[in-house]
Amino acid sequence: MVISVQTPDSAEAAHAALQAGAVPLGGGTHLMTRLNDRAGGDLRLVSLRRAGLSGIGVDGATVTLGAATTLADLEDDARLSYLSGCVRSIASPPVRNLATVAGNLFVPQPYGDLAAALLALDAELDVLGAGGARREPLEQVVTGGLRADDLVTAVRFTAPAQSAFRFYKAARRRLNSGSIVTVAARITVEDGLVGDVRLVLGGLARRLVRATGAERVLLGAPLNAETVARAAEADAIEPVDDAYASAWYRARVYPVHLRRALLGA
Amino acid sequence: MPSRIVTLKLNGAERELIARPSTTLLDALRETFGLTGAKRGCAQGGCGSCTVLLDGRPVVSCLIPVVTVDGSTVDTIEGLADGDRLDDVQQAFVDHFATQCGFCTPGMIMSATALLDRKPDPTRQEVTEAICGNVCRCTGYEPIITAVLAAAEHRRGVPLASAEAEV
Repeated sequence: MVISVQTPDSAEAAHAALQAGAVPLGGGTHLMTRLNDRAGGDLRLVSLRRAGLSGIGVDGATVTLGAATTLADLEDDARLSYLSGCVRSIASPPVRNLATVAGNLFVPQPYGDLAAALLALDAELDVLGAGGARREPLEQVVTGGLRADDLVTAVRFTAPAQSAFRFYKAARRRLNSGSIVTVAARITVEDGLVGDVRLVLGGLARRLVRATGAERVLLGAPLNAETVARAAEADAIEPVDDAYASAWYRARVYPVHLRRALLGA
Repeated sequence: MPSRIVTLKLNGAERELIARPSTTLLDALRETFGLTGAKRGCAQGGCGSCTVLLDGRPVVSCLIPVVTVDGSTVDTIEGLADGDRLDDVQQAFVDHFATQCGFCTPGMIMSATALLDRKPDPTRQEVTEAICGNVCRCTGYEPIITAVLAAAEHRRGVPLASAEAEV
């Protein structure tokens, strides 16, 4: 059970609590469900709500999201309208008013749709660790994780060019449902050919997948149904079974949703 | 860490409680303050029956350790009516048969209230999105959507069905 909840008012104090063995509590929309549901050992929490880690900064094309910024705050910010479809696809308003940006990076699949979007945008994390502040690519954190006493303080990325960001999520219901397939992509097309592409798949596998095989097929090719169909065959993905969909179904519908994400039809 | 004194501005009044680390906002409302409108349904943030307003925004109170929201403003279903006089969203739910067993109703009304506070003239789609985290197993949702749209109209000057009936 929870034996203490600290509510520090600075990132440094929050980090010190992590170093002393506390577990970080962002919005609580994942961790608290576990604590409400299961008996467990003694647990010390450190809440990030008051640690000064909330806020959205846009400086030219550089976007900085405080780690404890809520998903609702992203949804409300007109400067981040390209993320609106992604954010509104996640859970429901009473959950998005609690759930945080950094929390979404560490929830298990098939959740973490914002993490898919941020990975497609090649985001970097500001991390406060034992050696002080450092910056890490989100891609490295998604595959390698962080130390238990590392504190993510902010997420940074370059805003995509207009219309360059694509997000498509297939779910059992149109609102408030975990993902069956999530496609997040940053893609530019010049003279009908794909000039730059970064493609991330969520909901499909145990972890977010950077579809590098599909990226290679797409790069320099005409963006049409034939290219996208070949791209959908290019990565060895191991889809998962869960309550939302079978692995068979996910494998079957992934090419359809990739096409819808990239071609809109 | 010992229990802590937590202060809330609860339905307009300053209130204090002594909270254990494991006490959720929902626990505090129901067990300390006797406000049993917000319900413990799934305790997973999935059903919305515990929805209250935290600093004006709807939240699932089952997922919040109350010590983390010390000093915040909390509004619950009990704070809406003025004595025996229901507020317009509550009255619209009555008028449009938007409540049956009643378990989801307090959370549903708080989500609707938050929507109308931010968007006085919502579309049907916006109502649907606002209540997508509130599960109702009785009504099929249609009477609820109708009631929220009627409450919005009332706030813009159109009489509620009950007012018309009284005339």
